[in-house]
Amino acid sequence: MIQLFHVSKIYPPNTAALKDINLQIAKGELVFLAGPSGAGKTTLLKLLFREEEPSRGQIIIHGKDVTKLNSRGVARLRQQIGLVFQEFKFLPHMTALDNVALAALVTGVPRQESYTKAYQLLRELGLREKYDAKPPALSGGEQQRVAIARALMNDPMVVLADEPTGNLDANLADETMRLFREIRQRGTTIIIASHDLDLSQRYGTRVISLQEGYLVDDLSPLKEGRAG
Amino acid sequence: MKGSQWGLVGRRVCSSLWARLWTHVLTAGTMAVALFVFGALMLAQENLQNLLTEWGDQIQINAYLDKGLGTGEVSLLRDKIQSFPEVERVRHISREQAWKDFRGALGAHSNVLEGLPEDVLPASFEVFVKPAYRDGPIVEALANRLRKEKGLTTVEYPQEWVDRLSLVVLALHWAKWVLGGILFIAVFFIVRSTVALAILAQKDEIEVMQLVGATEELIQAPFVVEGLIQGFIGAGLSVLGLWFLVLFLRDQTLTPIALFGSLGQLQFIDWRGIALILAIGSLLGASGSVFSLRRFMKRWKG
Ligand SMILES: Nc1ncnc2c1ncn2[C@@H]1O[C@H](COP(=O)(O)OP(=O)(O)OP(=O)(O)O)[C@@H](O)[C@H]1O
Ligand SMILES: [Mg+2]
Repeated sequence: MIQLFHVSKIYPPNTAALKDINLQIAKGELVFLAGPSGAGKTTLLKLLFREEEPSRGQIIIHGKDVTKLNSRGVARLRQQIGLVFQEFKFLPHMTALDNVALAALVTGVPRQESYTKAYQLLRELGLREKYDAKPPALSGGEQQRVAIARALMNDPMVVLADEPTGNLDANLADETMRLFREIRQRGTTIIIASHDLDLSQRYGTRVISLQEGYLVDDLSPLKEGRAG
Repeated sequence: MKGSQWGLVGRRVCSSLWARLWTHVLTAGTMAVALFVFGALMLAQENLQNLLTEWGDQIQINAYLDKGLGTGEVSLLRDKIQSFPEVERVRHISREQAWKDFRGALGAHSNVLEGLPEDVLPASFEVFVKPAYRDGPIVEALANRLRKEKGLTTVEYPQEWVDRLSLVVLALHWAKWVLGGILFIAVFFIVRSTVALAILAQKDEIEVMQLVGATEELIQAPFVVEGLIQGFIGAGLSVLGLWFLVLFLRDQTLTPIALFGSLGQLQFIDWRGIALILAIGSLLGASGSVFSLRRFMKRWKG
């Protein structure tokens, strides 16, 4: 369960990116964050994994107030959150496999187990032949899938994805969405920020719309789950 | 931290050391020079201290005899000194004996004495003081009394030197810490900037690790280990340098450096001194890292 109470975010000096957001997302939900550029979608996601702190309000994730975490708490939170962000870089001198395995290694999973799991994930994501490539040698879509593999390494409770289909053609976008729904079956909460209203409508999930920092719409279509 | 995390730390340390090898070599070298200066002062202090302790243990007075003194006069004078209450024993060193001792002391180098008359060295009494009287002021009073005796030209006693040299030992002790301290501060800043370079070079890596949920210890540990290794190697080099210095000096018995004549018995610093140097080096390295990390981690948190 993710809860936001009266959350505002003002970037210094005075850019109000989010204004008094109240929101609840249940465990296992697949949610789209929609809205025009600059609406505050990325900011909302960043608040959830404590990249940014809210200027006002409270954010509760699985019963814990994330604004009150110390550095160890932040680390533990992030171990439970999978991130698919475009600017969340890879380490260019390490292979795709290394990059994916790193996410488990830092949490103390043994090396062999980490690498086996990383390889298995890359295989499932259709990157069996690319696991040894360094990220700069991968296409945008391939990088996206490596990012997804990395996000899934620690069996996260929550996956946060920012424009995960932005670099992908229609087929790959569909494929990615199929993947997200599969992950969701395991009870993982998934929040996807996207411009692509078409996509969100096609999958008939809950759509939370932001505009200029305000939450303007929160639609949970009756059809929800039919496409899943 | 768990085993796999230490593995990660180990690999990051190795790649970072390798990536900036020359920076690390230079830093370790600077560290070695600073610790060498510190160690050399410690070496001087300890050896001088040993010398003084040795002298102090055998407190005796050397009284040199007037060359004109006849055998009868010598033995009279000897009996008189022997009767002083502080005196345990008086040993007469004849001119021939003095010459022999000198030759013996020079050992292989005794050929430098060729051509000298065998009676250049004066005869003397070695006056041994009873243990109960082996105290600075008492020995001094006794020496002054002896100075008034006719037939004795010069009266010397090591206590005088012990006192004076004790001041030198003290001076060395302070010089060691003051000079060492200044050098250590400089080294600390150098290590700090070396680690800063390493941190900056791994900025992306740190960011990625933070985002996948690495704890702060896991992110910082490699840099601390890196500093530690640097410091330890620098300290090890300085100990090695000191060892060569001692070997070199032991060979210098006849050069002007051989002021105290006993360079051949020069002692290397003991294991506690070595441990101290290694500890200072490691500590400097690690603390340079810690301070560098503190600076950056704060900045990156915004
Ligand atoms: N680090 C920052 N410092 C200052 N202002 C920021 C920062 N990040 C975002 N903003 C501002 O906050 C507002 C919301 O930005 P955000 O990135 O959340 O929008 P978005 O909905 O993700 O847009 P897009 O669809 O283009 O990605 C924008 O006006 C942006 O300029
Ligand atoms: Mg955005």
